[in-house]
Order: sequence, then C-alpha cells, then structure tokens
Amino acid sequence: MVLRRDDWLDLARKVNWTPRYVDEREMFPEELSGHPWLAHDAWRDWNEAYRTTYREYVANQREKDAAVLGVRSALDKPHLFDGLDPGWVQLVKFHNGAVALVEYAGAIAELRMARFGRDSAWRMMSSLGALDEIRHTQIPLLIGHDMLAYDGNFDWTHKAFHTNQWVILAARHLFDDMFLAADAIDSAIQLNFVFETGFTNLQFMAMAAMADRAHHHLFEKTLASIQTDEARHAQIGHPVMRTLLENGSRERAQYLVDKMWWRCWRLFLALTGTAMEYLTPLDARTRSFKEFMNEWVTEQFIKNLAEFDLEKPWFWDLFVEELDYAHHSFQLGLYTYRTTLWFDVAMPDDAEREWLNAKYPDWEATYGPLWDRLERSWETSGESNTVSYGLPALCNLCQLPALFVRPGRNTACTLEMDGRRYLFCSEPCRWIFSQDSARFADHKSVVDRIVVGEAPGKLTDLHAWMGLEAPVETGKDLRRGLNPWRLDPIPTA
Amino acid sequence: MRIYLFGYASDDFLARVVVTPNERTVAQLAGQLVAWVLAPERGGLLTVRNERGDLLDLNSTIAAAGLGNGDIFTVERG
Repeated sequence: MVLRRDDWLDLARKVNWTPRYVDEREMFPEELSGHPWLAHDAWRDWNEAYRTTYREYVANQREKDAAVLGVRSALDKPHLFDGLDPGWVQLVKFHNGAVALVEYAGAIAELRMARFGRDSAWRMMSSLGALDEIRHTQIPLLIGHDMLAYDGNFDWTHKAFHTNQWVILAARHLFDDMFLAADAIDSAIQLNFVFETGFTNLQFMAMAAMADRAHHHLFEKTLASIQTDEARHAQIGHPVMRTLLENGSRERAQYLVDKMWWRCWRLFLALTGTAMEYLTPLDARTRSFKEFMNEWVTEQFIKNLAEFDLEKPWFWDLFVEELDYAHHSFQLGLYTYRTTLWFDVAMPDDAEREWLNAKYPDWEATYGPLWDRLERSWETSGESNTVSYGLPALCNLCQLPALFVRPGRNTACTLEMDGRRYLFCSEPCRWIFSQDSARFADHKSVVDRIVVGEAPGKLTDLHAWMGLEAPVETGKDLRRGLNPWRLDPIPTA
Repeated sequence: MRIYLFGYASDDFLARVVVTPNERTVAQLAGQLVAWVLAPERGGLLTVRNERGDLLDLNSTIAAAGLGNGDIFTVERG
C-alpha cells in the first residue's frame, strides 16, 4: 500500500544523516555554512510553514509553465508588441536586463544553501529554490528572445550582466554582497528574509498588476508565475532568523536586516520606482510607487520585524523621507545620462506631471523647474543640450549616482581610509561600508576606474567599454526618438 | 597638481565629478561646476562650502582651501 503524503513527508524532510567519517564542522564549515556555527541540535526544529514534496513541486511547476507558454502561443510571435505602449516596452527591456541573470545567480545561492544549510528541510527547500531560480532565468530569456526580432536591444536580457554598464555594475555589487559572496546563513537572511519577503512583491506582484492594465498579458503571467515560486522559497529566511535569535545572534541579525534593507531600497527605487512612474502608461498606473512601497513592502516588513522583536533600521526616517523623492531624482539622472543605458527614457508630459503632483504634492515645486529647463534646452539648442557630459559622482557602496535625496538636499559624504577617500551617496551607505570595509574597499566605481585610467574617459569610448554600441543601442528620449546628431561622435567631457 | 573633486550645486540634482588643477581658485572651481549644471546661464553670487559646511574663501586656491582628491564641495547660487 502506498503511504499517504502526510505519513512520510515529515520523515523524508528530516533525513539528517549522522556523519561518521568527518566531523560536523568539517562537513559544514563555518566559512560556507555561516556564522554563528551551531551544532545541528540548534537547527533540529528548522521548519518551513508550507511544505512541498518533490512530486507536488514538479506537478505545480509544469502547470505554471504551461500557463505562461499557453499565453505565449496564443499571442503568436508577430503580435507580441501589438497594443503595447512604447514606454511599457522600454520598461520590459529595463526589467529583463536588470533581472533575468540575477535569477540565475540566485540559483547559485540556493544551491549553496542546498549543500551547506544546516538542516535537511532547509536543504530540501533550497534545492527546490534553485530549480525555481533557473526557471526564472529561462522564461525571461525565452520571451526576450522572442522580442529580438522587433527590438534588438532585447538581447540585453542575456547580455546585460556580461557588461560593465553602470546600472548593471551596481546590481552586481548588490547581489554579490547579498548572496554570491555570502555564506548560507547570511544568504538566507539577506536574500530570503529581506529581499524576497520584503521587496520582490513589488517587482513581481505590483508590476504584474500594472502589466495587466497595460495589456501585456504575457509579462503579467510571467511575473505572477515567478512570484508564486518566490513566495515559497522566501520561507527559508524565517526559520533561519528564528534560530539565530534563539542562539544569541540578535545583533548580527539586526545588522544583516538593516544593511540589506537599505541596499535593496537603493536598487528598487532605481529600477522599479522609475519604471513604474515614468515608463508605465498613465491608465495602467494603479497606484504610485510610494503607495506600493507602503502597502506591499513597508507594512509587510514591519510585521516581519515585529514577529522577531527586531528594531526598525536606524536610518528609517531617511528612508521615509526618500520615499517622496529619491526615485524622481534618479529619473533625472537616467534621463540626462540616457546614452549610457540600453533602454529609452521618458521626459514626463503634462498629464504625467499632473499625476505625479497629485501623488507627490512636492513634485512640481521640486522637479518641475528642472524638467522645464530640459524642455527649454531641447527647444532652443536641440537634444544635445539635454544630456549630461560630465561624470556623475558615484557612491562607493551602492555604485549609484550621488543624487539623493532631492535637489537642494544632497546627502553625499566621504570616508578616509588607508590613504583613499571614498564617496558615499548617504550615511547608510557609508555605515554599511564601514561595518565590513575589507569586503568593499578594493572595489572601484566606474568613476574611480576612469580616474586611474582603467576605463576610458571619453564618452564614445566609454559606451563601448560598457558594452553599448552607439548610437543604435544607446538609450534615447522615448517620445522624440533618435536625433540625427547622435550619428556623429558624442562630444567628450 | 590635477585633482578630482565631487561638487554639488544646490540648485542641481546631482553631485558631479570635477577634475581641476588645485592651483586654481575656489571661485574658478565653482564656475567650472556651475558650467555643467542644468541652468549654467543663471548668474548671482556664489558661496562655496566644504563637506563640514565651512565657508571657503573664493579667492583662495583650491589647495589652500584644504580641498584634495575625493573631497566634496557645495556651491550655492544667490
């Protein structure tokens, strides 16, 4: 007689072999399994809330893949772009480039936990998580490949993370820190507890809702399908957090949470905040980025902190202040440095400005004059006067331009260490760097590389260094297209 | 000596890299930064401060004002 699922699952999840030929510490070295190193007794009660068998996993994933591929087949390749807003197409290009191969790196993180996680139930969940992340890479690659016939820049779905493009360098710096250069415990807290539980709802649920209203049903289906996987393997973080707190590691847990909250916020304001409010068509905007952040991210995160009696990160007030401004400031950076991007960038039109001001009452007063100047510059001197030629100051931690919080209030700061002066966009970035300076000190930002001659200072050469073939691949103004002046070499600084 | 600094004009949105000989004056440094910002044509008095918020003498050289590689300065236009 075949046993029923519930009769065998608990036993199968907890096959923790007793090692006889090696010591437990050799089998799970601290460098990879993580700090604090605890004997297995401490991990024995590691339990995920929602349990899955491999059989269930395969059946569910097959159904989910069939749903996505069904929409793809129904749409028929020649009609992939039909009815899509041009801004939305750029959003998808931005998203695909910035996300697809991160998922593949995520598979490595899950596999590390599948080997070095300290309980078999954790290792089982991580094995499924690794399969998830491979799927999350393959689907965008497939759909990005479909789109190549209509827009060659969709090759950045695969290409982006193989380049030195500055947004991608910032993303790589974050994800190296979050999980590629992290042990199993740190990965579980930073990737599963903070990033996946806290932030990916925004990218995959909120943006899926927008995709539906933007009539991009294939993208909506893809995002929603990915999120169901994320929700399952994000569970890994909670029991790891519980074990840390029960074993005297509250301070380290709080540090990891604070650090990764700030780093994820930086990436999401740059990627999701700008895309939601400057590339999404107005009638597809269900809520503002700030409203989404408050509902989907902040509230959920605070509940998670309360569950473990953890404190809000010490920089919370700055984070709250930035919610009203930071992504709007970043949009100005994207727009004026658009020739260094692989997607087009929008200058907000009158209707969008009205919407932005309704959602952010300070928007017009803060950003209106700057966009007005760009409009006037285009009218009087042409497009070439609406792009920046000088180098932006880049943060030595997040690698993003030092343009926060908003015009008139710049939070950039420095740190002198071992004869080198480091620049940071904000106090939290400086704090994160200082907490583990040996980890970050040798890294050079794009500007550092230019200054020491490791990257070209001439903009036309810098495009090539970043993997961008100018002018065909380089980003342009979304609504005004490629101005003929771009066919000439871009003036250098 | 040629040095690089990070300059922020208070009516701009971004801190920018300025590469300059440090024998130039603080006023020239401020002018160089303002030339990059979105409204370079706007005139008015310039006030320059270092990261600590100390007011810098516009006639002083950059070196004498204490600015070196990687330092931040802020320019306010009156």
